[in-house]
Amino acid sequence: MRDIYLLAFLGLFLLFGLRKPFLFTLVYAYIDIVAPQRLSYFLLNSIPISLIVFAGALGGLLVDRGKKDSRFSARQLCMLVLLAYAGYTTITADMPVEALEKWGWVWKALVFAIFLPLTLRTRLRIEALALTLVLSLAALVINGGLKTILSGGGYGALVILVEDNSGLYEGSIISTVAIAVIPLIWWLARHGTIFPSADPKWRPALKVFALSLSFACILIPVGTQARTGLICLAVLYVLSLRFSRYKSLHIGGAALLALAAIPFLPSSFSQRMGTIQNYQQDESASTRLAVWGWTWNYVQDHPGGGGFEAYRQNKVRYELPTTDANGFATGMEVGEREVIDAGRAYHSSYFEMLGEQGFFGLLLWLIIHVGGVWRMEVLRRRYKDSAGDDERWIAPLAQALQNGQLVYLTGSLFVGIAFQPFVYMLVAMQIGLDTYLTRRRKSASFVPIAAQVKRATGRPAAA
Amino acid sequence: MIDHFSLLLSHGLLLLAFVRLLRRPDLDDESAQVQPAARARATAAVSTPAPEPVAAPARARPGKG
Repeated sequence: MRDIYLLAFLGLFLLFGLRKPFLFTLVYAYIDIVAPQRLSYFLLNSIPISLIVFAGALGGLLVDRGKKDSRFSARQLCMLVLLAYAGYTTITADMPVEALEKWGWVWKALVFAIFLPLTLRTRLRIEALALTLVLSLAALVINGGLKTILSGGGYGALVILVEDNSGLYEGSIISTVAIAVIPLIWWLARHGTIFPSADPKWRPALKVFALSLSFACILIPVGTQARTGLICLAVLYVLSLRFSRYKSLHIGGAALLALAAIPFLPSSFSQRMGTIQNYQQDESASTRLAVWGWTWNYVQDHPGGGGFEAYRQNKVRYELPTTDANGFATGMEVGEREVIDAGRAYHSSYFEMLGEQGFFGLLLWLIIHVGGVWRMEVLRRRYKDSAGDDERWIAPLAQALQNGQLVYLTGSLFVGIAFQPFVYMLVAMQIGLDTYLTRRRKSASFVPIAAQVKRATGRPAAA
Repeated sequence: MIDHFSLLLSHGLLLLAFVRLLRRPDLDDESAQVQPAARARATAAVSTPAPEPVAAPARARPGKG
């Protein structure tokens, strides 16, 4: 049943792509997020659907008459260099077999992120990408949100659509991404034109959907019990206060809401979130600190990084305070328990980049991502006072993308998602917005010159 | 049941979004853009007897896409 309608939807999407080839690009983004082939039991999972759709998207760019408007940005160049460098570290990797496996999906994510901004030449295309990302993610988020309400979820127990712990279907990753996308949901609800927010007939439905979807996004960290998600939510909340006119009212309201929500939270969630404070007794947190220490020592000898999956060679040793039979520290001199672990993952994108791609890779990664925060701030400031209909949407979009990026950079502190394809699509959207606006400014300053020629010669300027 | 609901809702909305995009010439060519304010006015003005020419979404031009 599920296979049939997923196939039908995909078939229709591809048919639309034949009419407007840019839609192939959107369909690729959809496939990358939802991974319908993973949800399928027959047919779809045997077709190289990503490859077919990417070929369509590339063909769409080649036949696109307006592609001369496309610009290549510094951050795209950084991604290109990172791609080449990651290719090099894969060849020379400490763990060649495992590295090759990760390279298999990383290069696709980077190539698509480099390609995507070239297609974003119009405002509507940028909006269409934002809507596709949000609605594709909605398939996972609505599912996870509803299951959390009905069952309460659990750490590693919440099954979103399919029992698969990879990609966006992993608890900590979906928690971070779900929170990062909330600002984009609200931008679409306030400034969208595909589902027109300016139309009073659409506005109430859009508001209700945005509110419900945001609530579902907030429920994902509750359902997956990923502590990272809670931290991301707190960061997003602080960011939202930045431009709030009634800060104290917002803080008070949120505190009341949080207090009111406590009785509804599953007790296992409250217990797990409590371990944020008592990290000394938490094995997962202690492992992180030990692995980060190992990575730092490792890059002293290997400053170029050890290639993908280099962490698999680590052996970490750390000590945990012993607790009594009930799991509580009794305060007595009960000593410490030594724990020895091997092959522990980085649990941080920063250390993931440092260990795998060395100092150079980390630097490129920081330029790509922190550079996004900076560029969006530049755009937000430049357009914040724009009141015209054709410019009012720009500053809020830059702000939404900036907030999403900051949430990602926060989540990245605790989760190894340095190459998460969804985030690279957000980065691509930032680059697309940036180059689109540069082009607009250039063409706006060009018009008077054309008019001058017309005035001087009495004839229209040659095309 | 929940799986079907979340998949059908999200995919249905994606389908609707794509259908609406097919009818927007400004997807490929910004100069064909219908001014947002004009579009909002046109769609909102149910009581206005004579809608402006921009009221109907323009069809894709032949040869585009």
